[in-house]
Amino acid sequence: MNEVILMSHVLFGVGCMVAAVWLFVDVLNANEGNLARIRIISWGAAVFMWLAFLIGGYFYVTAYKADKAIILNGPWPFAHDLVMETKEHMVIMLLLLVTYLPIAASNNLAVSKDARKLMLWVTGMIALLALAMDGEGAIIAMGVKMGLLPK
Amino acid sequence: MENTTVSKHSVSFGLALAITCVVNALIVVVKEKSAVVMDGMRKITGHHWITHTVIVLVLFVIFALLFSRANGGQGMKITASRLINIVVAGVVISGISIVGFYLFAD
Repeated sequence: MNEVILMSHVLFGVGCMVAAVWLFVDVLNANEGNLARIRIISWGAAVFMWLAFLIGGYFYVTAYKADKAIILNGPWPFAHDLVMETKEHMVIMLLLLVTYLPIAASNNLAVSKDARKLMLWVTGMIALLALAMDGEGAIIAMGVKMGLLPK
Repeated sequence: MENTTVSKHSVSFGLALAITCVVNALIVVVKEKSAVVMDGMRKITGHHWITHTVIVLVLFVIFALLFSRANGGQGMKITASRLINIVVAGVVISGISIVGFYLFAD
């Protein structure tokens, strides 16, 4: 079950990242014709991130303790001490950014240059933060793997 | 025709986002440095991270509502480029503070 939870967490997180990159490109070419799509994908990115957050949070609170012990006893303790600690707190910023995304997308991007600029910054930060979270997740998984290798 | 406006809610939630990102980093430092705070946060919801997240999300909504009701309900009056600077600064300062704290101070 934990495997399904973790894979869903990654799936929705990557979905959010892909949506953010899509939005970045769509906003660069914002016009009356793609405004509705931009707003729908903004909501989609927010929903994906909230799902990734809730699923990952559930795993972190209920099951991560065992992985943490393996990591700390293994050769990569930094996978928890630095990587997991930063991930669990920086993801809150990502959650705030995706919650803000549909609000920023509600402006008329077709006519407002500054509204487009705001969206580009927000989607850019979401994509970069989501990529960082994805990489940190990989390091944490590797930390568990290293801890399980025979010494 | 091009214009340079963003909505009242874009401004108020954007400012709230920047402030709560910084508050997020401050909570990290305070709870990691104070066992009393960490224990207190654990007791409130059963896990310090849940309490941390709830505090940040509640503050985000409260700040956004306060900013949107400023100036007799017209919201905060700042330029869009200043809003962008504040949002980016909030996220960057918070990110660097969190990584820096776990890298050097914890």
